[in-house]
Amino acid sequence: MSATAALGQIDITSTPHVPMSRLAKVEFRKALDTRAGRWFAISIVGLVLVVEVIYALVADEGSKNYGDFLGIAGAVLGYFLPILIIMLVTSEASQRNGLVTFTLEPRRPRVVVAKFIAGLLLGVSVMIMGAVVAAVGTVVGMLAGGAPEWSVDGNLLFNGFVLANLIGIFIGFAIGMLLMNTPAAIVGYFAYSLILPIAVGILGALSEGFEKIAPWIEFNTAQTPLFMGDYTPTGEEWAQIAVSGTIWLIIPLAFGIMRLLRIEFK
Amino acid sequence: MITVEGLTRKYGAFTAVDDVSFVCQPGRVTGFLGPNGAGKTTTMRVMVGLTPPTSGRVTIGGHLYQDIPNPGLHVGVLLDASAQHAGRTGREILTIGAQTMGLPSSRVDEMLELVSLSPSESKRRLRNYSLGMKQRLGIAHALLGDPSVLILDEPANGLDPAGIRWMRGLLKGYADRGGTVLLSSHLLHEVEMIADEMILIGRGKIVAQGDKKSLLAGAATATTLVTSLDNAALASALTAKGFDVQPAGEGLKVGTESVEVGRAAAENNIVLTDLRYGGAGLEDLFLELTADTQREAATEGVQA
Repeated sequence: MSATAALGQIDITSTPHVPMSRLAKVEFRKALDTRAGRWFAISIVGLVLVVEVIYALVADEGSKNYGDFLGIAGAVLGYFLPILIIMLVTSEASQRNGLVTFTLEPRRPRVVVAKFIAGLLLGVSVMIMGAVVAAVGTVVGMLAGGAPEWSVDGNLLFNGFVLANLIGIFIGFAIGMLLMNTPAAIVGYFAYSLILPIAVGILGALSEGFEKIAPWIEFNTAQTPLFMGDYTPTGEEWAQIAVSGTIWLIIPLAFGIMRLLRIEFK
Repeated sequence: MITVEGLTRKYGAFTAVDDVSFVCQPGRVTGFLGPNGAGKTTTMRVMVGLTPPTSGRVTIGGHLYQDIPNPGLHVGVLLDASAQHAGRTGREILTIGAQTMGLPSSRVDEMLELVSLSPSESKRRLRNYSLGMKQRLGIAHALLGDPSVLILDEPANGLDPAGIRWMRGLLKGYADRGGTVLLSSHLLHEVEMIADEMILIGRGKIVAQGDKKSLLAGAATATTLVTSLDNAALASALTAKGFDVQPAGEGLKVGTESVEVGRAAAENNIVLTDLRYGGAGLEDLFLELTADTQREAATEGVQA
């Protein structure tokens, strides 16, 4: 206890702020220190492994290259990484530990930044593990009689694997912060990632006009060129990603951050 | 020192806290007392920046809470012992707090020992904790950074009698070393035993504040319990003097000071066998004061 306490004043001049590195480290730890968080992260990597092994055993000889396995790892991660992020963000309200988090660091924007850093670190770590598992899958494919090509198309790596998953991570942040409730955010995420593209696909099949507009207004559809064909969106396709991304990612993310900064943690 | 100045918090048309002002002095335990929903928690939430005030402000040690860097080192807070991730172990919860504040992990062990949570208990997950264990963990968390100010919302809730006594000693010692302690409760006896200073709140307004003595001195109605060898004669003598007299058990309950009862007995040569202060103490005062806030806009008469 400081001597100044007797006077009723607190001397804060010699107390530094909590550094961002420490906040981010704590947030990273919080993502993995519960059974739910840890096992979900392990399960994602495990699921990638299972899918890779099955693929290695059943795929055509000609499509057992490392690039193929990497694409599959990216697709599986793409579905589940956002949920890991959603759990990291929403537990503050659903598990109510936000009361403590925002009492120990009342300047909320710093906590938001720390969560972004932790979420990105977590995502990149899982992606690296996914890439390693893809290599394991490739070796299994080799043992099952394939002659894989190990070199990877740079566009596949950056667009189909890294960029697509980074988008997924930020989608997780947006939905998590916007809904601030774990079950609701996970349901919302699956509605966004599974139901929405199907609905758009059906509408597109019914109306040729809609099919043309769809990639401009539906983010999943717009992202398809990232992991199809030569993994290189054309100029128009990049524009579609930017426009639909603004609707489904940038705006929700902005509202989500605003909500997190104002919400009363009860 | 905690200074609350003209604090008001409204939720739509509902006013949770209405122009509340008080000061918690260092070296003293201040009890914040009021029935459920009186505004205690809202006031404390505003103190630590979780809820923005509609008007007014709270400073701790001269600063707004938001302006205190690494606040865990200066202000220990326990608002709700259950507000932690149920899947984390007690030790992990303290570790996260210690890491955020930049404290060594040895501090976690010290705090676990201080609140008597055993190593095996500290490895259990919070969802398997009893309320009493959660409270101990919450107090440990509040004390992690060795703060000079403690803000505790219903800390005795769920503690067993031995635990309540332990907490009393802990907080007394803490205040004796110069710390500022604010603790809330809806149970008067809890606060009465520990607090040097009391703040009574009802319906979002402060209805009384001061130490126990000055609060009782301000109580509107004095009641005396008396038993004598001739209760009937004493009753008629007191009634003749204009006092309210009611039978109570073996004796009488009289609506006046004990000195008046004694005087009446002496004048009438009645032998008293028992004479004592009849109000249930602060409890009556507390219920009376908080009931008043439900009928009237404000009760100024007993402001200490």
